[in-house]
Amino acid sequence: MRLLALTLLVSPALAAPALADVEVPRYLNETATAGVSSTYAGDWEFMTGGGVAAFDCSGDGKPELLLAGGTQKATLYRNDSPTGGALKFSALTAGVELDRVTGAYPLDIDSDGIMDLVLLRSGEDVVMRGAGQCQFRRANEAWGFDGRDLWSTAFAATWEKGQTWPTLAIGTYIDRKEEAFPWGSCTPDALYRPKGQGFAAPFDLKPSFCSLSMLFTDWNRSGTPSLRVSNDREYYKGGSEQMWQIAPDAPPALYTAAQGWKPLKIWGMGIASTDVNSDGFPDYFLTSMADSKLQVLAAGPDKATFKDIAFASHAIAQRPYTGGDFRPSTGWHAEFQDVNNDGVQDLIVAKGNVSAMPDFALKDPNNLLLGLADGTFEEAGDRAGVASFAQARGASVVDLNGDGQLDIVVVNRNTGAEVWRNEGASKGHWLQLALHQDGANRDGIGAWIEVRQGDLVQRREITSGGGHAGGQLGWWHFGLGANPAAEVRVIWPDGSASDWAKVAGNGFYDLTKGQAPKAR
Amino acid sequence: MNRRKFLTAGVALALLGGTARAAGDTREAVAAQVLATWLRLALELVRHTPTYTPPVASRTLAYIGVAAFEAMASGDTSLRSLRGQLNGLTALPDRAAGQGYDAAVILNAVMDLVIHDLFSNTGPTGQHAVQTLTARLAQQAADEVGADVVAASRSYGATLAAAILAWSRKDGGAVVENMGFPATYTLNPAPGHWVPTSKIVLQQAPLLPDWGKNRPFAMPAGDTCTLPAPTEYSEDPSSAFYAEAMEVYTTSQSLTDAQKQIARFWSDDAMLSYTPPGHWVAIMAQVSREKGLDLTAQVEALARMGVAMADAFIGCWQAKFQYDLIRPISYIKKVIDPKWEPLLNTPPFPEYPSGHSTQSAAAAAVLTALFGENYSFTDESPTPDGAPTRSFASFWAAADEAAMSRLYGGIHFMPAITNGQDQGRCIAAYAIALQTRA
Repeated sequence: MRLLALTLLVSPALAAPALADVEVPRYLNETATAGVSSTYAGDWEFMTGGGVAAFDCSGDGKPELLLAGGTQKATLYRNDSPTGGALKFSALTAGVELDRVTGAYPLDIDSDGIMDLVLLRSGEDVVMRGAGQCQFRRANEAWGFDGRDLWSTAFAATWEKGQTWPTLAIGTYIDRKEEAFPWGSCTPDALYRPKGQGFAAPFDLKPSFCSLSMLFTDWNRSGTPSLRVSNDREYYKGGSEQMWQIAPDAPPALYTAAQGWKPLKIWGMGIASTDVNSDGFPDYFLTSMADSKLQVLAAGPDKATFKDIAFASHAIAQRPYTGGDFRPSTGWHAEFQDVNNDGVQDLIVAKGNVSAMPDFALKDPNNLLLGLADGTFEEAGDRAGVASFAQARGASVVDLNGDGQLDIVVVNRNTGAEVWRNEGASKGHWLQLALHQDGANRDGIGAWIEVRQGDLVQRREITSGGGHAGGQLGWWHFGLGANPAAEVRVIWPDGSASDWAKVAGNGFYDLTKGQAPKAR
Repeated sequence: MNRRKFLTAGVALALLGGTARAAGDTREAVAAQVLATWLRLALELVRHTPTYTPPVASRTLAYIGVAAFEAMASGDTSLRSLRGQLNGLTALPDRAAGQGYDAAVILNAVMDLVIHDLFSNTGPTGQHAVQTLTARLAQQAADEVGADVVAASRSYGATLAAAILAWSRKDGGAVVENMGFPATYTLNPAPGHWVPTSKIVLQQAPLLPDWGKNRPFAMPAGDTCTLPAPTEYSEDPSSAFYAEAMEVYTTSQSLTDAQKQIARFWSDDAMLSYTPPGHWVAIMAQVSREKGLDLTAQVEALARMGVAMADAFIGCWQAKFQYDLIRPISYIKKVIDPKWEPLLNTPPFPEYPSGHSTQSAAAAAVLTALFGENYSFTDESPTPDGAPTRSFASFWAAADEAAMSRLYGGIHFMPAITNGQDQGRCIAAYAIALQTRA
């Protein structure tokens, strides 16, 4: 296997930030003034989904937002926020205004340097080609994409070795026609592999178990990502969490018990990934109802065995932390980011009752779990000001106003989306890095970015997928703590590594393959 | 309504068989389809409703069985109502003299309302399914029936369902909060008592510690069928308790493939299966199909089975929290092998006696009383992981295997199994003694 130069495998304790105490970021709720007014609406068919895509299509370096609307039309919001200032968005007519949209992911499918989109729907999925200036055109026919008429709920993308066109995975949910007995009716997930400059017919990933999140991830740093699938046990029979081996030129194959894979049955709803324990391998946070899971590699890279450390890490996010409602939580989108720039990954979880299930919390605040020096997490959602009780679904933790502080947008079911601006009070330094390479896969999906500060190395796998029904593509954020500078390098998807290069903190850098980092 | 003889032995019923209705179906077949479809939905809702752990499922299946029985008994002079026989069931409404009724419409109304109520906390998909069937079956049941008869039948069904539900709300098990796990609970710190066996937050307290205080259906009280105290706790390698733990441990180390299949076949995990009582109801429905039972026999069996299994869980839980015994995983990890893991996930409540053993024995006793000592069958109940079907020479053979599966699974010591079965037999006698025929 290709275990690349994992220079220093530090313990969580060694990965402590240079700042003395964990700092709680301060968020301002700017929903009323930001101009984002979408609601994820709909009945039974829209109890899941409600994703948001964050990506720059205007060319100003600040991400636009595309919000799924369910029975209402999806809406693309142009980012008009002044740098460091209040969040401002305006709705565009962009060609994405379809109804029945459950989720959205940005991806430069044709590698022309203009962002394209994948729209998941309860109905036909649609791939949209970016035409520039935030305009998008349906490309199903041009790219040979069979959008099928299913209830789509999960997405992931990768570029397989030697391919100039991406491979997409789309996860689906219940057979909508089985209204009286929907249980056990999970429709097939599908793999869309390249066929020339387009997609081959979808390959059914059977068995399929009502997936709500997917992620291509190189779990053992082999150089070939596998496809993790988080499934909703509410609807499958005989199912479990899954991981598919996606070897080039070979049919997908599920990891088996002989390879170390252990069945896990949860109400899988979202996947977030980062290297929590600094062992050089990605770890996975899985949202569910009641207890969430935080899985770390248990027996090294040769065995696909994971152990759950959520309880010990205080990352279980099991019930509302605000008091008053002790019923279990319902978690959806999850995302690791460093919201206080202290150099330790934090965890954001969007929460909300499925509908009005009385056995689960109805006032279920979103979590903002701050990563601590000892490898555990501390809840700070209420102190940070993001403890909304709306029925959250998708979310994005992203720098919306270009100040290096991560803001938050959350899509809610049957009520308006919410936007919070990070006030930027953090004393920590930060980096924003964007990957570029010529040819296919221009944004470097599958690469690893490494940021080194002395003996400490932060690593981020660049992925497309996961979360709940939405993702972001553009700048990749790193907190540096008290260090005003850091070294960076990229392990590109082809396995080549760039040289370490020193960059000053608090800046945006383009990392182009074969070139030195370039400040923007 | 005049008494109708529903479905003779030559007419196959479709209990748990689906919703399709062939043209020219008799009214009797319509009623049977209504029952089959609602029962199928109830078992799916057991699997998919958050609070439906095995004790809760047993309670609901009992009320469904009694409700179906009373819906039929109210117009069938060959049946004897259970009012006055079941604890707390003192009064039920009668049909109006001289009014025409239709059994299928009544049965549908009762099942609709009872299931809707008992599964009121199911999720949006379950709610959607109930609403879909409500509309579909109301039309199906009323097809070709006069409007006045439909109206009177629905009205009576609603009255009967309301009475059954009112009775159900006073049994102590109607409200299940926090998935059945108490918000606060003080563990007994003495060695040998139950301690949490997982890192799941809810399960840091045991499931339904007061369930044994619920009003039983047919047996007089939760502690009517007592069982011997478990073996005295000891960590001494020469002790009997240590030997029992070693039996679990050594069995787990040498499990055959057949034993693993047995453990998984009977695992019947909450939230992943019909649960043990649902599994046995599915067996009963299968036998009903195989034997071509008429509808009166079906509802009679459903009521007796439900009552026996619900009482079994009450009696079992009473003993579980009386003795509060440690689980094998906790003892073995502490005393024998800290790295030991059983084949099955250990349920989050005390060990003694084994719930599956108690309630499977109760179910087997009822089915044996109804269908005989040597009824051989192949259990085709759906299993979560698609385990192959298993064949049995008798209901007791199935119950014995279900009980032993808990040893193979590493979640029970043998006394919990053998004494649990004895308790189940004792409890079932009260359900078997119910007078259902006039």
